[in-house]
Amino acid sequence: MWADLVFLGQIAVKSSVAVALAALGELVAERSGVLNLGVEGMMLMGALAGFAAALTTGDPWLGLGAAALVGAALAGLHAFFAVALRANQVLAGLALTILGAGLSSFLGRSLAGQSGPRFRPLHLPWLSDIPVAGEIFFTQSAPAYLLYGLAPLLWYWLFRTGSGLRVRACGQGAASADAAGVNVARTRALCTVLGGALAGLGGAYLSLSYTPGWATGMTGGQGWIAVAMVVFAAWRPLGAVAGAMLFGLFQALQFWFQATGQELVPAWLLRMLPYLLTIAVLAVVQGSPSLRRRAGAPADLGRPFAREG
Amino acid sequence: MNALLVLLAAALLACGAVPEAHAAKKVKAAFVLLESVNDHGWTEAHHEGIQHLKKTLGDQVEVSYTENIVSPTDAERVMRDYARKGYDIVFGTTFGYMDVMAKLSLEFPGTKWDHCSGYKTTANMGNYFGRIEQGEYLAGYMSGLMGFKNVGTVATQPIPEPIRGINAFTRGLQKGLKEAGVTFDENKVNTVVWLKSWRDAQGETTLAETLAGRGHDLIRQMADTPDSAKAACAMNVPAIGYGMDVTRFGAGCSLVSTVWNWGPYYVKAVKAVADGSWKPGEYWAGFEDDIVRLSPFHASVPADVQKKVLAELEKMKAGKDESFLGPILGQDGKELYPAGSRVPDKDLLTKRFLVKGVSGSIPD
Repeated sequence: MWADLVFLGQIAVKSSVAVALAALGELVAERSGVLNLGVEGMMLMGALAGFAAALTTGDPWLGLGAAALVGAALAGLHAFFAVALRANQVLAGLALTILGAGLSSFLGRSLAGQSGPRFRPLHLPWLSDIPVAGEIFFTQSAPAYLLYGLAPLLWYWLFRTGSGLRVRACGQGAASADAAGVNVARTRALCTVLGGALAGLGGAYLSLSYTPGWATGMTGGQGWIAVAMVVFAAWRPLGAVAGAMLFGLFQALQFWFQATGQELVPAWLLRMLPYLLTIAVLAVVQGSPSLRRRAGAPADLGRPFAREG
Repeated sequence: MNALLVLLAAALLACGAVPEAHAAKKVKAAFVLLESVNDHGWTEAHHEGIQHLKKTLGDQVEVSYTENIVSPTDAERVMRDYARKGYDIVFGTTFGYMDVMAKLSLEFPGTKWDHCSGYKTTANMGNYFGRIEQGEYLAGYMSGLMGFKNVGTVATQPIPEPIRGINAFTRGLQKGLKEAGVTFDENKVNTVVWLKSWRDAQGETTLAETLAGRGHDLIRQMADTPDSAKAACAMNVPAIGYGMDVTRFGAGCSLVSTVWNWGPYYVKAVKAVADGSWKPGEYWAGFEDDIVRLSPFHASVPADVQKKVLAELEKMKAGKDESFLGPILGQDGKELYPAGSRVPDKDLLTKRFLVKGVSGSIPD
C-alpha cells in the first residue's frame, strides 16, 4: 500500500515538473498584468535550446541556462509587442506559440533522435530517506529540486516584498501603480521575461530529464496546461505547483488503474478531470466578480497600459 | 488546444511543400504525411520509403511531399492542390484521410489515389497497408523463448490495428514460452494499458514507467514515438520497439523492433503508374513482400533464439503465417476460431477482440 502510494507519488511529481515551472513563469507574468499565451512555444524553444546546449557542452546545467535564456528572449519579443507596442496580448501570445513550434521544428531537424546528457534521479542525503514524503519528493532529478526552491521563493517575493507588491499592483490596477510611481511598462516587461525564462526551464526539463532528447512538438500541449494551471491555482505560486502535481497524479492513476485491472475510478473520468476542474474554476472565477477578486485574478490582466488612457 | 496548435503549425509548414526534382516526362508522385519526417516513427518510416523511391527510380520520378497534415480538412486542401498541379499519383499516409481521398478521387478521375491503412476504394483510389502484426508475432515469439512472461503493453488507440498487434504478440509470446518450457499465467502474459493517443511522449513515458514499476519484465508498444522504449531503458527494463529501429533513437535496451519498410511498395506503385498498369487495389502484405521487417537483435538475445525467430520469419516469407491460425481463444477462453482455420482478413481489419493471455480490456 505505502509502496504503491510512493510509486504513484513519484510518477505524479516527475511528470509535472515541466508544467509546474512553466505555470510559475506564466503566473509571474499574469500577476504583472501580461497574459502570455506563448508558453507552449517558449517551452518548445527551451526544450530545443536546452538539449542543443547540453549536447554541445556535455553539461545539462548549461542546457538549463541556455533554455532559460532562449525562453527569456522569446518572452522579450512578447513584451515588446504586448507592453511596448500595447498590442493585443492574446494574438501576440498565440503568434509566439506558433513561432516557437515552427522555429523549433525547423532548427531541431539535425538534433532529432540524438542522445545527449541528461539529469538523472539525484539522491539527497537525509531528505531522500524520509519515509513516503522523502521517497516521493526527493528521489527526483535536479530540476525538480530547483522547482521546490523556486516556488516558495516566488511566493515570498510576490506577497512579502515591496517589489512583489509593485508587480501585483501593475496587474491589479496599472493606473494606480503608475500614479504611485511604479514604472508599469518596465515591471511588466521584466516579469514577462522572467516568465519566459521559467517556461524555457520547463521545456528543458522535458528534453533533459523526463523525455530526454529532442523531438518535434515534444511538449505535447503542456504549455497550455500550464496556462490553465495559473487560473486553476487562482494565481498562487504554491497552488500552481500543487495543481500541476495533482494533474500529474490523475494521469498516473489512470494508467495505474488500468494496469492493476481494478478501475476504482474510470480512466475516462481521470482523463477528463483536469479539464473539467479547469473549466469549473474558470466558470466560478469568471462568473462571480467578487469571487474573481477574492481568488486573486489580476484586474488589469491582459489590458495594455497607457498613461494617457 | 493541442490539435489546434498542430493545425496552425501544419498550415505554416504546408505553405512550403517541398519540390524535390525537375525533369520532363516522368511520374509525378505526391505524398501527404501525418507528422514531421523526423518523428522517429510512423512518418519517418514513410519518408525513408520516399527516399528509397527516389533513389531507385532516379529521374523517372518527381516526388513532392507535405508533412504535418493532421486534419482531414487540411489534407483535402493539400491533396486538391497536388491534383490540380497534375500529379499522377497522390499517396495519403494516415487513416484519417480516407474519406477525403475517396471524395477527391471522384472529383479528379485523372489522378490516381493510394491510401494507407484504410478500407475504402474507388475507381481510381486503392489502399495499402503492411502486416506489422507478423513482426509483432515474431517479437512475441522471441520474448517467450527468452522467458519473459509478464509483458506490459503501451497500447495506443483501441482500434483493430493495434489490437491485431497485441493479439499477434501475445500468441507469439505463448508459443515461445511453451517451447522454452517456461510456466506462465495463462490468463496474464501481456498486460495492456491504453494511452488513447498515437503520439504522446509524456503519456507514453508515464505509462511505460508505471508498467516497469509494477514489475512487468518487458515493455512493448505500438505508439508513434520511441519514448516508451526509452522510459523502459531508463528503468533497466528491456523493450520492444515499433515502427522504426528504436535503438537509433536512444532506446539501446530494445531487444528487437518491428520496422516498416514502405520503399518497395512505393517503387512498385510508381512503376505501375509509369507503364500504365496501375489499378486501384487493396494491398495488404507482410514479410513476403518485405514491407515489414525486423531490426537487428540486441546482443543479449541468445543466438539459438535468434535462429528460431529467423526460421519462423522465413516461413512467413514463404507465405506460412501462423500468427492468426486457429485455434484462437478469446480472453475468456472461449474458442473464437477453430483449429486449422485462419482469421479472415475482414475480421482482422474490422473486429475488436483480445485473445487469451491478454490482461486488460478494450475501451470504447
